[in-house]
Amino acid sequence: MPGIPTNYFLILSAILFTIGVCGVLTRRNGITIFMSIELMVNAVNLTFVAYARQFHSLHGLIFVFFVMAIAAAEAAVGLAIFIALYHHRDTIDVDEANLMHW
Amino acid sequence: MTWADTLLLLPELIAATGASILLIVPVLGGRARGHMAKWAMLALMAVTALAVIGSTYAVAGVQQTPTFRAMFAVDAFSVFFKLLFVVVIALVTLLSEDFLSEERYSTWEYYSLLAFALCGMMFMASGVSLITIYIGLELLALSSYILAGYYKNHEESTEAAMKYFILGTVSSAILLYGISLIYGVCGSMRLSTIAAALSTMLSNDALMFGIMLLAAGLCFKIAAVPFHVWTPDVYVGAPTPISAFLSTGSKAAAFAVFARVFYVAFPAFHLDWSNVLAAIAALSMIVGNLAAITQTNVKRMLAYSSISHAGYSLLGIIAMNEMGLRGILIYTMVYVFANLGIWATILMLRRHAYAGESVEDFRGLHKRAPFAAFSMVVFLLSLGGIPPTAGFIGKYFLFAAAVQAGFGWLAIVAVVMSAVSMFYYLRLVVAMYLEEGSGAETIYSPSLRFVTALSLTVTLVVGFIPELPIRQVIESSSHLVGRVVQR
Amino acid sequence: MTGLLTVVLFLPIAGAILLVFLPKDIPGPIKGGGLLVSLLTFLASLAIVGRFHDGIGGFQLVESHAWIPQWGINYTVGVYGISLWLVLLTTLLTPVVILASWNSIHKHPKEYVISMLVMESAMIGAFLAMDLVLFYVFFELMLLPMYLIIGVWGGKNRIYAAIKFFLFTIAGSLLMLLGIIYLGFQQVHLTAGGVPTFEITQLYGLSLPPHIQTILFFAFALAFAIKVPLFPLHTWLPDAHVEAPTGGSIILAGVMLKMGTYGFLRFVLPFFPDASIHYAPLLICLSVIGIIYGALVAWVQPDMKKLVAYSSVSHLGFCVMGIFAINQASIEGSILQMVNHGLSTGALFLLVGVVYERRHTRMLADYGGIARTMPVYTVFFVIAMLSSVGLPGLNGFVGEFLILAGSFQTHPGYATVAAIGVILAAIYLLWLIQAVFFGPITKDENRSIPDIAWNEIAAVVPLIIMIVWIGIHPNTFLRRMEPSVQQLLATVRGEQPEKVMTASLAAAATRSPVAQTLLSVRSGARMRGRQGLSVGVQGPKGAQTEVSVLRVTR
Repeated sequence: MPGIPTNYFLILSAILFTIGVCGVLTRRNGITIFMSIELMVNAVNLTFVAYARQFHSLHGLIFVFFVMAIAAAEAAVGLAIFIALYHHRDTIDVDEANLMHW
Repeated sequence: MTWADTLLLLPELIAATGASILLIVPVLGGRARGHMAKWAMLALMAVTALAVIGSTYAVAGVQQTPTFRAMFAVDAFSVFFKLLFVVVIALVTLLSEDFLSEERYSTWEYYSLLAFALCGMMFMASGVSLITIYIGLELLALSSYILAGYYKNHEESTEAAMKYFILGTVSSAILLYGISLIYGVCGSMRLSTIAAALSTMLSNDALMFGIMLLAAGLCFKIAAVPFHVWTPDVYVGAPTPISAFLSTGSKAAAFAVFARVFYVAFPAFHLDWSNVLAAIAALSMIVGNLAAITQTNVKRMLAYSSISHAGYSLLGIIAMNEMGLRGILIYTMVYVFANLGIWATILMLRRHAYAGESVEDFRGLHKRAPFAAFSMVVFLLSLGGIPPTAGFIGKYFLFAAAVQAGFGWLAIVAVVMSAVSMFYYLRLVVAMYLEEGSGAETIYSPSLRFVTALSLTVTLVVGFIPELPIRQVIESSSHLVGRVVQR
Repeated sequence: MTGLLTVVLFLPIAGAILLVFLPKDIPGPIKGGGLLVSLLTFLASLAIVGRFHDGIGGFQLVESHAWIPQWGINYTVGVYGISLWLVLLTTLLTPVVILASWNSIHKHPKEYVISMLVMESAMIGAFLAMDLVLFYVFFELMLLPMYLIIGVWGGKNRIYAAIKFFLFTIAGSLLMLLGIIYLGFQQVHLTAGGVPTFEITQLYGLSLPPHIQTILFFAFALAFAIKVPLFPLHTWLPDAHVEAPTGGSIILAGVMLKMGTYGFLRFVLPFFPDASIHYAPLLICLSVIGIIYGALVAWVQPDMKKLVAYSSVSHLGFCVMGIFAINQASIEGSILQMVNHGLSTGALFLLVGVVYERRHTRMLADYGGIARTMPVYTVFFVIAMLSSVGLPGLNGFVGEFLILAGSFQTHPGYATVAAIGVILAAIYLLWLIQAVFFGPITKDENRSIPDIAWNEIAAVVPLIIMIVWIGIHPNTFLRRMEPSVQQLLATVRGEQPEKVMTASLAAAATRSPVAQTLLSVRSGARMRGRQGLSVGVQGPKGAQTEVSVLRVTR
């Protein structure tokens, strides 16, 4: 197949996924954590698209649409939860979330 | 897609439609009639149950009927779990009644979310493609995040929702990455195609990585160590009926997926992944039970106990034999009913918003509520696996499966930890029967009484006359076992 | 009449279920109902003796129904010479316990009687079950009522004692469960459809490889050693006894501890003969330590109940020693001693409870000279005590004599040390009698203690009758157990065609003194089968003569 080999995409998506994981682990702001999670999900989407191109199959592409829709729903739910949290304590720093043992 | 295909999908369609209707009722002026929501929900559950049973007649004589381009299948395995889910949701509905009426939260939306969760769980049970499974899982998860934070005026509930949300989305991203790698190696997301592809394949790193990531994502859902950190906080912070739901229905659905995916798709690489899962199971049992001993809050104790039970159930997946698969089915059922019964008792012990939090609340319960106290003992014994309760039957299956599969060491860990678990289960028995004291006031509504009585009946009947449920379980799992034998 | 065993087994539980529906506030009818049920059970169990055929070694009155057919688990019950008298002991002690607690249990009498009846069923079930899983179910079912009896009706530290009791027992029994599962699946490939079997008669013929025997031997032996309890695992027993109410102590010492020794006889020896022979010296050593240790600790106890509790550790050491000496005389003695211990220790606990009810103390120092104020009581106590000491003419003598006579054949050194235990028992029990009953009355409270009451007499008299009966006519009892013991020994010796000794086991066995004796005795004999055994062949001849001498002199 002409063009860029599939492996390049896979490596890129692995790097993106890792960056996302690091973001989740190191960031303290709820929104930033959520953005890192979105990065992880989209890295996976890249993998699907790359494989779908390699297999000449639509399955991977279709799945990406589903994932995108679900990510949007997650964003809605997540932001709602953060807003509710903000109402309680005027911050969305996850380190402040210590009413119960973490 | 034909008319027959739609019929097979009927239970899910009914659940989703019902959920949507419940959602718009308040907009149409139903908000005032909040108390009607419970009955609407129960009616919906009844119709869904009928549809599930009806779908079995649609496929009568056929072991498995895949439909929608082999992404969705109705078989005895899925029917078993779907019926279990419907019963769980109906019981959670009953558990929620008092809680909702006291706290003045909107009831229609609450039940609507439960119905959506049910829809997701049913898709998980019927999914024979990783796509379907993932979507069902997310539908369940998104509903659960909201439900965990439903108590929005309470900071604990919101905080629990936040923790559950962050860890849940991370875990589903991990699961998704696992799916993508498996897709890349096998070229398909259908479980049977994956199995066929793997049977001619040598072990390779990308595949093992994919399987491990998938397992990690599922381990989060079943709360196995080291993916368990969310469990105690969420169980304590979430509204109590939702904690009951998360520890029963949600886990049962995750086990349905776990069992189907690993038994159907990955038997070829059993040797490679079984040791990793065995380590996870052993850790779950050890950490869960040892941590539970030190808890003074009953909900946290139950959370750690639920972590340890995830470890026991994993034995059935690790064993990868007939006994193991049946063990998962029966153990899930047994565990679900024992747990729902315990949560009903906790809900009965009311102290302000959060109920039955500390062991002291249980003091002298056998005087104030003898039936509840007695049932509680039966449930605790069932969780501990003491005959003649249902828990013994479940543990027997799982231990036998592990011994048969050559995981003797794991079975020894499991029995030693079962003995340890009796230590903290007995603490509640001691408080209820042996200690004098007033404890918390009790409000034993007919709904709670019904939940307790039903759970008690199941726990005792399965314990004393296990033949019937076992036959059912064998019927429900034989077609998946067949694949294992073919391997 | 088929179904006799089922009737005996479920009568108490059926009675308990009926009692559930009685109102709480009528203690009289509740206790009366419990007594009636337990007496009916006793009568029904007498019918078992009536229908029992002497001279048959195998199981009799067998009933079998499928319970969980998919796993090959059946409801199969049967009785044989080894279990017959233990069942009778159980059905005898339960009415005794209910009578003895007639006036001493004031808190929740209904729940107390129900617990006792449930426990009776569980114990009978464990003695009768011929299916391993069924046995396990009854074995566990015993735990909860006992836990409640200690925890609800016990003394000051009852909760600690109850939890300790529960956890010790369950830790052992869960490991046994694994062993049971493993054993059941040994034969899966032999049966149609891959269904395991847990029928013990089918498992008796199983010849497992030695390393598996060793593992399973320890899984089972641990559960039973905790229950007996054998020396290093005994620590739960004194706590449980001291805190338990009188009735609980009687059942605990009288029957429940016998589950351990019975388990050794019924499961450990016939299932794992090679391992049993190989590790017999270890268990005999532990039981001899238990005999001496129990006796010495009993000697220094200031508390009467603790004294009797430690004497149980000592006496049950004899039973285990008799079992692992593996010959006809010692095993018969051991079974008889289980019954004896149930009777004499049951009576002692009951009688200690009698004075405790009156004075609310069990300290030896608080008594003295009460023979004058309680003459009838003193007579009963002295008889029970002498039975425990092993006075000729009473039951304790017969049992201990047979055990020691049998053990001398195979383990003379250990038997000699154990004999010291008999002497120590005489010392501490006579010391108890001296301190409590004779001498001047030093405490004023003791001048006016009422003598033993009607219900207590009714409870203790049957025990005394049995003590004397076994003492002067042991043949009634020995005759019925003899064929079963012979059959057991045949199983252990591997007198079945398919048993072939493996080389490694032969090597291991030759290191043990038993095997060396044997090899010197029968050098050149065929190298097959469990040989420790042939010592058994040799030993019993001497022992048999002893037994017959005993029967003549009686």
